[in-house]
Amino acid sequence: MVLHCFQVRGSFAVQAGVIFLFLLLMVTSSRADGDIENGQLYLSALSSGGNEAEVESAEDDVWEEEIWGDDWDAPETIADPLEPLNRLFFHFNDKLYYWVLKPVARVYSGFFPEELQIAVRNFFDNLRSPARAVNCLLQMRLRDSSGEVVRFALNSTIGILGIGDFARDALDLRSSKEDFGQTLAFYGAGGIIYINWPILGPSNVRDSVGMVGDAYLHPMFLLDAERELIIAAWTFEKVNYTALTLGDYELFTETALDPYAAVRDAYQQYRNGLIRNQ
Amino acid sequence: MGYIKNLTSGVIEMRKHHLQDKLVLLVSFLLLTLFVFAGGSIAAASSGPMEQLQKSVDEILKILNTQELKSPERKEERRQLVLNVVREMFNFREMAKSSLGQSWNTISAQEQETFVGLFTNLVEQRYIGKIDSYNDQKVIYTKKLVKGNKAMIYTAIVDKDLEIPIIYRLQENDGKWLIYDMKIENVSLIVNYRRDFDSIIRKEQFAGLVEKITKQLEKTETSN
Repeated sequence: MVLHCFQVRGSFAVQAGVIFLFLLLMVTSSRADGDIENGQLYLSALSSGGNEAEVESAEDDVWEEEIWGDDWDAPETIADPLEPLNRLFFHFNDKLYYWVLKPVARVYSGFFPEELQIAVRNFFDNLRSPARAVNCLLQMRLRDSSGEVVRFALNSTIGILGIGDFARDALDLRSSKEDFGQTLAFYGAGGIIYINWPILGPSNVRDSVGMVGDAYLHPMFLLDAERELIIAAWTFEKVNYTALTLGDYELFTETALDPYAAVRDAYQQYRNGLIRNQ
Repeated sequence: MGYIKNLTSGVIEMRKHHLQDKLVLLVSFLLLTLFVFAGGSIAAASSGPMEQLQKSVDEILKILNTQELKSPERKEERRQLVLNVVREMFNFREMAKSSLGQSWNTISAQEQETFVGLFTNLVEQRYIGKIDSYNDQKVIYTKKLVKGNKAMIYTAIVDKDLEIPIIYRLQENDGKWLIYDMKIENVSLIVNYRRDFDSIIRKEQFAGLVEKITKQLEKTETSN
């Protein structure tokens, strides 16, 4: 199949170019409308540096009870029948953070300056674009899906393997942040029960399935990379992420009374926010 | 000759146009200044939730950006200056109350007072810890929703090339807008503390909660 593509490279390039231009047109025209879809906050005013005049005032909007009430005051909780085991793994992950991850990330920070860490983060994030594009499509979000395709194409090339977010900087085209867990939620799946995985951290049944689903769409998996390479890449990404967020975990858990319960709730709220596309 | 005449008249024509352009520019500039000033005074007079929040945040950023206060020996002074502003921004009593949920009504007025104090310190610890690591992050304002005496201000902090969304929930009281909850990356501070406290209260009751917060505050105090 791949060989065949190369044989007819000329026409393939033309086709790809036409499709890309079509997607670009679709994405840019949708942004020109400036509409807010599904109550989603389009951060179009973000790049303006917070100029007050440009801040969108939605005082005339139809008030949605959801915005003002429920998800602030009484968001749903998740069942946790595995609590004893989850707590054990939470404790394990906590120790793993302080004894291994944090010291390694500190040393890493000494060699990798912040700009490089951001580039590494962008590189790994870019690899998730194909999965995001598919998930947007599965959630009937055609615009966002084409946006992800355009992002992947631009950032992988002009953004040099994804280390720069050219699509965001030049076109104000932002990541959709979609994943398979959110797609399952779109079709009505709940979290079922909370799971605190060893090493992988907080999750639930739905998002664990989602994680596996997204892994199948990861370029490393699609390219049939060695298992060792996948683990190495994952570890590298994890260390890099820890280096970028050093101190956040400590601050959160140290100002919580039952860190396990606080993390469980934060995960739940965070995921629900993503599912609602807020 | 005719050619030169044409040329000079052309230049004069161009100058005229140029002058007109300049005049238009000047008038529009004047109008713009008028607008900006008028807009400014109107905003100051009514001083909505966005303006008040922005003013406080700007004040904090000013303190954090003051070069002289950045030295390690003035860290405590800097913290106090920031906390003075923070205390004017939040309605800690309301926050403490809603973070306790049902339990609030089961405790005495005296206990409520003690709890408000403890809760305030706990939130300050979390907030101030973040502020210590401040490194020139930008705050941007994206959206404002106002409904009666309640408001939501959508902001974001640009940290390491990432936009972290923060939504403030404010309530007006005598013309003063105070924050009573905030969502950082969709995680509500109050809901999170309520779940956290619930987990303790269920096992150790209110007394256990007070003891735990006191211990926690002492721990962070000594580790600083």
